[in-house]
Amino acid sequence: MENIYLILVLSPLIGAIIAGFFGPLLGRTAVHSITILGVLISTVLAFYVFNHHVLEQGEVFNQNIYTWMQIGNLDVSVGFLVDNLSAIMLLVVSFVSLMVHIYTIGYMADDAGYIKFFSYISLFTFAMFMLVIANNFMQLFFGWEAVGLVSYLLIGFWHHKESATEASLKAFLVNRVGDFGFLLGIGLVFSFSGSLDYSAVFSSLDNALNQQLWGLDLITVICLLLFIGAMGKSAQVPLHVWLPGSMEGPTPISALIHAATMVTAGIFMVSRMSPMFELSDIALTVVMVVGAITALFMGLLGIVQNDIKKVVAYSTLSQLGYMTVALGVSAYSVAIFHLLTHAFFKALLFLCAGSVIVALHHQQDIQKMGGLRKKMPITYWSALVGTLALIGFPGFSGFYSKDMIIEAVNFSQLPYANWVHYAVVAGVFITAFYSLRMFFIVFHGKSRIPPDSAKHLHESPLSITFPLVVLAIPSAIVGYFIIEPILFNGWLEGAITVAPNHTSMTELSHRFQSASAMIFHAVQTPPFWMMIGGIIAAWVFSLYKTQWADWMVQKFRPIYYILESLYGFDRLNEIVFVGTVKKLGNLLWRVSDVGLIDKILVNSSANLIGVIGSVVRKIQTGYVYHYAFFMIFSLLIILTWTLFAGDSPLLEF
Amino acid sequence: MEFEQILFYIFSFWFVASSLAMIFSRNAAKAVLFLILAFFSAASIWILLEAEFLAIILILVYVGAVMVLFLFVIKMLNIDKSTLRAKFAGYLPLGLVVAAVIVAEMILVLGSHQFGLEVVAAPARHSADYSNITVLATQLYTTYVYPFELAAVLLLIAIIAAITLVHQSQIKRKQQSISEQVKVRAKDRLRLISITSPNKKTKEVDGG
Amino acid sequence: MTNPYSFDIASLSVAIPEIFLLSAIVVILLIDLFLTQPFKQVTYYLTQLSLLITAILAFNLIGQPDTIIFSDSFILDKLAAVFKVLMLGAAMVAMVYTRHYLIQHSLFRGEYFILVLLAMLGMMVMVSGYSLLTLYLGLEILSLSLYTLIAIARKRSNAIEAALKYFVLGAIASGLLLYGMSMVYGISGSLNIGEIAQFSSATNLGGREALIINFGLVFLVIGIAFKLGAVPFHMWVPDVYQGAPTATTMFIATVPKIAVVAMLVRILIDGLGAMQLDWQGLFVALSLLSIAIGSLAALMQTNIKRLLAYSTISHIGFIMLGFVTGVIAGYGAAVFYVLAYVIMSLAAFGVIILLNKKGFEAEQISDYKGLNKHAPWFALMLLIVMLSMAGVPPFIGFYAKFFILQQILSAGFVSIAIIAVIFAVISAYYYLKIIKTMYFDVPEEGNTFSISAPMDMQIILSINAVLILVVGLLPNQWLKLALSLF
Repeated sequence: MENIYLILVLSPLIGAIIAGFFGPLLGRTAVHSITILGVLISTVLAFYVFNHHVLEQGEVFNQNIYTWMQIGNLDVSVGFLVDNLSAIMLLVVSFVSLMVHIYTIGYMADDAGYIKFFSYISLFTFAMFMLVIANNFMQLFFGWEAVGLVSYLLIGFWHHKESATEASLKAFLVNRVGDFGFLLGIGLVFSFSGSLDYSAVFSSLDNALNQQLWGLDLITVICLLLFIGAMGKSAQVPLHVWLPGSMEGPTPISALIHAATMVTAGIFMVSRMSPMFELSDIALTVVMVVGAITALFMGLLGIVQNDIKKVVAYSTLSQLGYMTVALGVSAYSVAIFHLLTHAFFKALLFLCAGSVIVALHHQQDIQKMGGLRKKMPITYWSALVGTLALIGFPGFSGFYSKDMIIEAVNFSQLPYANWVHYAVVAGVFITAFYSLRMFFIVFHGKSRIPPDSAKHLHESPLSITFPLVVLAIPSAIVGYFIIEPILFNGWLEGAITVAPNHTSMTELSHRFQSASAMIFHAVQTPPFWMMIGGIIAAWVFSLYKTQWADWMVQKFRPIYYILESLYGFDRLNEIVFVGTVKKLGNLLWRVSDVGLIDKILVNSSANLIGVIGSVVRKIQTGYVYHYAFFMIFSLLIILTWTLFAGDSPLLEF
Repeated sequence: MEFEQILFYIFSFWFVASSLAMIFSRNAAKAVLFLILAFFSAASIWILLEAEFLAIILILVYVGAVMVLFLFVIKMLNIDKSTLRAKFAGYLPLGLVVAAVIVAEMILVLGSHQFGLEVVAAPARHSADYSNITVLATQLYTTYVYPFELAAVLLLIAIIAAITLVHQSQIKRKQQSISEQVKVRAKDRLRLISITSPNKKTKEVDGG
Repeated sequence: MTNPYSFDIASLSVAIPEIFLLSAIVVILLIDLFLTQPFKQVTYYLTQLSLLITAILAFNLIGQPDTIIFSDSFILDKLAAVFKVLMLGAAMVAMVYTRHYLIQHSLFRGEYFILVLLAMLGMMVMVSGYSLLTLYLGLEILSLSLYTLIAIARKRSNAIEAALKYFVLGAIASGLLLYGMSMVYGISGSLNIGEIAQFSSATNLGGREALIINFGLVFLVIGIAFKLGAVPFHMWVPDVYQGAPTATTMFIATVPKIAVVAMLVRILIDGLGAMQLDWQGLFVALSLLSIAIGSLAALMQTNIKRLLAYSTISHIGFIMLGFVTGVIAGYGAAVFYVLAYVIMSLAAFGVIILLNKKGFEAEQISDYKGLNKHAPWFALMLLIVMLSMAGVPPFIGFYAKFFILQQILSAGFVSIAIIAVIFAVISAYYYLKIIKTMYFDVPEEGNTFSISAPMDMQIILSINAVLILVVGLLPNQWLKLALSLF
């Protein structure tokens, strides 16, 4: 088996290397054939691995492949842990990546960076594999950083756009915050367990049980720090600001990295760490509340957006919030379930958006679209499937996963769980509202497309529509087929730990009858009616009485303004973080630099009489004097501190 | 009080007093002279400590050579005293406070209660035929030969540094090149250039 | 009675590198005197040759049993031998870059290289110093050479200013250091590191002795902190970095840091290791201040040399954190950080020097606008350096920070680690700013980045930068080496 895993992981890397180094020699066709072949091999093998581990319940594979460094008690290896969780993740990543590779042929056809782009996305696929297959924290962190790095490269792919550059910088910096939290968490893990290997860490959790740090349990602190990492990568409030900006990248990237795979790395990581998170109710509560805030408030922002990709981006944020809520209520398998269905339908939605964008020559404003249903039938029907899955229409895959999350919250014993329950139920209405609003505005109603582009309007080429159709199928049906095995029949058993006192999942399994029964039962539940309400509202505001929407905007201007300004998070960042840091830097600059450079060098060299003379004068006017005095003064403070502070020996005299 | 102790206090007093006078003196030349006095006092204290050789070297090298050189420099550079003074007065209060606190802390740690004779016994006296120079030389060329060599390297650097910083890039020696003088021809000696004369201007100048 | 002047010449074999280097210096000094202008390059090649031979001689001493000679004032242990090889190697790389710079700015003089060799000698003495006296003398040999190396650009007023500032402040720092040494000598009765260690670790250390050693300790730490450039004794660093000729800045920024860390190890760990708890607090304060000031003050810089000065200050803070831990693994992490820092700084200054043209110093960050357009390879090199300095894996700078943080956390200083991490995040901003300038900004009119550097420099620089990645990918051996030094 080891060889199969190795081939699975390495084939995209080989593709990326060939494309990256020899691409210009080989030409476009060769490059996309090679990279797609690499990912295809991975996908086939991922199916095989999935079959072996999940369906045939093969042995868990946990081995170090290569010892990379061994310093004292720190042992860093490249190792594979293939259990059901990683097998499912491998399948999702490789499948979506394959579709995106194919889609890219059509989408990037006119782009000068065609070859580079293929090299990047293959590289990304490799990094993502390394992340999900890791058996230790170090490799996890490396995959984590590597996917991040490729992500920045790809966000800034069109670097002639100022906004793309800015967005990639922002993504880099925000993720730095998360990464360092993550890194501190890993450091603390190492400090109590003496190992970075998952199994070793989880088996030595007892060591950490009664330790305290800053008045909290050590485990709680570790979980919170790790969760900060997850918040960065999975874009949870307040570290979400980079994700909408990342839409500056090409659309295939938005589908692959910023919807289906990389942003779910945080969800995956917390699930992996479930043995640790289960020990801390405080951490779980924080996870749940942060998730709920993201789910509700980021969804609201989707309502006022007019950029087609931004709407999908905010819906991604909101769905990531749902997954995080599921993690918080210890329903890890539900979170993974939603991750899986979301990967399919969100990738599908992004690719549909991309299809529309290509057809309209990179027009992204939905107010300048409309009536595309007739012109682009395949895109239309795919988008419809994606949208219904997203809003959780009974029977579609998103319905099962989202409904389960809402139910799980209902059964949770954590504090504030009832509030979170309201938030996620309200989120259903909002999701339905903004999704259908976009759908109606883009595909129905009157065409607002300028006549000259309308003339050339036609359905996208096969390389674009093929992935749409292939992704539409799982988006529609996968939930129906796998809800029972993944949640209740132990697909994820062994990979995930749930403490006995967290009863959401057991309650769920008592209630669950069958997938088809859920459809009929749905009509009796509030989420269903919230969704119907959302659809109707969207229809009313975007098709039936569009002037009502304007009236609402007028009437509720303050609320609209708040939403429009994205709750001021960007402003907040600008003012509080960037601002304070800049001010501090400015202050230091003024104290230490301006004084010197401007006052001495510039001003005095203006009336420079002779070099030596002016230097002598400089010393005598006291600037070195200042430095010297500063040194002596520091000496004084340090001496005083040493002599009088704490348990100084002087006190004994 | 023994005679030696009285001497010690006298020299110490002069040492401190002349050092202070050096710092506060308005005239640079006077300051140097006060420094020389301070060196003398220090040398005297060394003699009390039976370090005769060091005392003599201090006077010979520092007073005899370094300070005289210093005086030369001061006399050559005309240092403006008033600006010096103005700055000095401005910083004085703060400087004094800091200095006072540091001195207080030093006394606290290094005062006579720490290093007085009752804490650290006085070293034994040497006999009259004890030779400072022999001991020093033996030490320098045996135990301390390595630091001694390093000090020599330090001096080498000082020389190189001084030359590097002062030495002008190239010394142009005035030299005859006989072969060139022989080889030279008439057309090399004289070059005819046709100059278009700016007539008007010349006239104006003339006229003006 | 045995002859006091006799000695065993074989015992000097462990000092062969120093002996050879000093002889080479004297010979080169004489040769240089007789070289006429067109042959001045010979001095450069002789310098490289003697550095190489010295490095080989030092390399052969790795693995020798610890030997102490010259009446207990010179030690050869693994730390000394390895540090010497590293310093000599770094100096050789630095000299390749230096030659290009000196030629470009008409500063090429034989004395420059001779002074560098003398500085190397001083640093080797420091690394092997086993007595306070030799440590001090080594430091002075180094400092005096450095002052001159700055002032060698006599025609630039800011170089002279930098030299004088460094000189005056350095003299004060040396004075403080000497004062601290005299304190330790006064109470322990010995200049020898081994005997000081014995004295300070004695269990019956009385209150009086402890107090005076502590008092001296403050001065020693300050002296070392000044030479490292740690806040609040950092004031000279930005001015000197900016004012000095870039080649000299590069030299000051790299090799001497290794030597000063060695001195730190000799005095504070080999000598006063028993007092670790007493200097630990001081180190925490100095290193956190350095990390904070270094990270914040760099944000506003427009001059890249000044920016690197503040970045150095913050790196120094991290290095000092390694010594806070008080365990061997922590010291090893600090040494690894020093190594990483030297490699990164050499590459950074290498790129700056590379872009120098006749009479033009690529000093302003805006000079790097659009570098990627005209010199993509060297833009990539600088990108690697900046990412590494920002602590992005898999570059060497990430491991350096990671090992330090890991040791700090293992030692239980969680809040210190968090503060350090916060400032590391902030500092990522200005490294990124340079990357942005290189890659995304439009080059200024007429700036075509014609690269006039000779091939040897381009190759060495490329290897230097790629090493940041390679050591980052395979840090195992280097870390083992760093750990085996203690």
